Amino acid sequence: MTLINRRAALLMTVGIVGAFAATALADGLPKLAVKKTYKVGFAQTESNNPWRLAQTASMKAEAEKLGWQLVYTDAAGSAAKQVADVNSMIAQGVDAIFLSPREEKPLIPAVMAAKKAGIPLFLIDRNVDANLAKGGTDYVTFIGSDFLKEGTTAGENLVKLTGGKAIILELEGSTGSSPANDRKKGFDAVIAKNPDMKIVASQTGDFNRDKGRQVAEALLQAHPEATVIYAHNDEMAIGAISALEAAGKVPGKDVTVVSIDGEKDALQAIIDGKMAFSVECNPKFGPAAYAAAMAYAKGDTLPPTMTNTDRFFDKSNAKDSMADSY
Amino acid sequence: MSDVATDTHKLAKSFDATQFLTKYSTVLALLALVIFNLIFTKHFISVQTLNVNLTQVATIVIVGVGMTLVIATGGIDLSVGSMMAISGAIAPLIFLGTAVHISEIHLSVAVAMIVAVTTAGAFGWFNGWLITHFRIQPIIATLVLFIAGRGIAQVSTNGNLQPFKLGEFQWIGLGRWLGVPVQVVIMIALVAIAAWVLRRSLFGRQILAIGGNEQAARLSGIPVARVKRWVYCISGLCSGIAGLVVIAINSSSDANLVGLGMELDAIAAVAVGGTLLSGGRATVTGTLVGALIIQLVRYTLLSNGVPDDVAKLVKAALIVLAVWLQRQSRA
Repeated sequence: MTLINRRAALLMTVGIVGAFAATALADGLPKLAVKKTYKVGFAQTESNNPWRLAQTASMKAEAEKLGWQLVYTDAAGSAAKQVADVNSMIAQGVDAIFLSPREEKPLIPAVMAAKKAGIPLFLIDRNVDANLAKGGTDYVTFIGSDFLKEGTTAGENLVKLTGGKAIILELEGSTGSSPANDRKKGFDAVIAKNPDMKIVASQTGDFNRDKGRQVAEALLQAHPEATVIYAHNDEMAIGAISALEAAGKVPGKDVTVVSIDGEKDALQAIIDGKMAFSVECNPKFGPAAYAAAMAYAKGDTLPPTMTNTDRFFDKSNAKDSMADSY
Repeated sequence: MSDVATDTHKLAKSFDATQFLTKYSTVLALLALVIFNLIFTKHFISVQTLNVNLTQVATIVIVGVGMTLVIATGGIDLSVGSMMAISGAIAPLIFLGTAVHISEIHLSVAVAMIVAVTTAGAFGWFNGWLITHFRIQPIIATLVLFIAGRGIAQVSTNGNLQPFKLGEFQWIGLGRWLGVPVQVVIMIALVAIAAWVLRRSLFGRQILAIGGNEQAARLSGIPVARVKRWVYCISGLCSGIAGLVVIAINSSSDANLVGLGMELDAIAAVAVGGTLLSGGRATVTGTLVGALIIQLVRYTLLSNGVPDDVAKLVKAALIVLAVWLQRQSRA
């Protein structure tokens, strides 16, 4: 095949894709009828930690309160299964879909399938790649925390806590997921501005306790000079605390542990002095998610992203926050 | 398959370089890895490094011991990870008093551990029964429990995390005996017992005979079905113990994650260790070495800043290499 032929073929493909994009744009977002009750789908990504369980519980409880029918699926940590889950919701004819996409790129087909089927889709908690799908055109809106800001908040508070001097081990979340990407970006940017703070190792612990512990054990061994562990979620931080204890170090004294989420076990660790702070990432999405759907049905124009307000937990308020924690 | 039958010593009779390499390839690989680390990995020479690696490898080896016996008969057990999840889900249900309430804590923990491990053993026995009674291929028969087992664990806990803090139970994952972590002691004990059984006991010779040539074994009067059922039962028991260790270290039991992917780690350790995957020749100490190699590769890459994803590729390459070496020794 000559180069010219190839180029022609490429141009044609681009033309066809462009034409499709134009028609899709013309169609715009699917509408949601005003009804008393809805049948909605919630595609959860996994249920392996208290945060996810709290999120699912909130979605279920609020649906029950409103008298809505909820189709619930759990992708058990597989992006491929989650795409299939959304497709089966489409086949079941739900009125709207709430999706917590596991990763930014692999879930694009699910978003597009819902749009094509004329079912409005709301992203909650995690986002998809903004270059491939846009809020307000491909999906209705993204409701969630600002992960970038969570990372920045964690970084800034760490600077305050350590006086700008630290050797840091970072435990990342699932590779390719939006919280892992943004919590790293926000945090690393703050650290880069402080010449006496250094991240000596950064590895994924997949947001889970066992993996977080194993990775922390290995990293602590390779970098015994570390003074801070920053974990992208509390589960990994708790794993890191076990790793520290196993290595004969005193968490909170020899090594400062900081993290994000604010689950019950983490608050307890803060009270016990093993963890310094945790930036909240509120999992109770039910009320906000369904309220957004009802507003959208009424014809309100929603902004492409709706950000939750998150709190900050440290020694001063951990005890008082235990009651409504998960 | 008679050429690969029971006696490994035959192979070493005439010495040459290839045969030396194949026979000691796993040990040599482990040595090479240790030397690499001594040079390149910072702070490698310490008791704590040994501790970290041994405690992390213990569960793979414990499961690998059962897996070695199963593979020695020419079978395979895919359900080990699910049986770990079952054992890990059942124990906290008992010692936390969710399912049955026993007020004396030591008694409660003892009952929890025994019931959990025995249940896993029973499920293993069920695998063996499927295989011997209905003559289902092992990979299919154990696939049943691979799928259903995790489901059973999830249903019994509603898929919820069960967190706990209980020293009376957690000694199995966090305790030390004469300075050695308890799970490492369990690991060494199991390896020693299994190695002795394979080499010296009647049961061990029967296992290898079945793996070498099942038809011949049956004709020479070996109770093939009974031996096989026991082997799968042992694999279940080992998985049950490993499940308890995992939940004890993490102070929580998560039915969705305990033992996830363990079947592959265990099979990889067995394969890298030099056990013949078609049965008839097995080495438990080889499995120990194989597991140590896989663990050390992961540790090396992690502590030198290489992502975990790359570690998976290296693990796969190791398996390919091990299988290739096996073929060399057969030719």
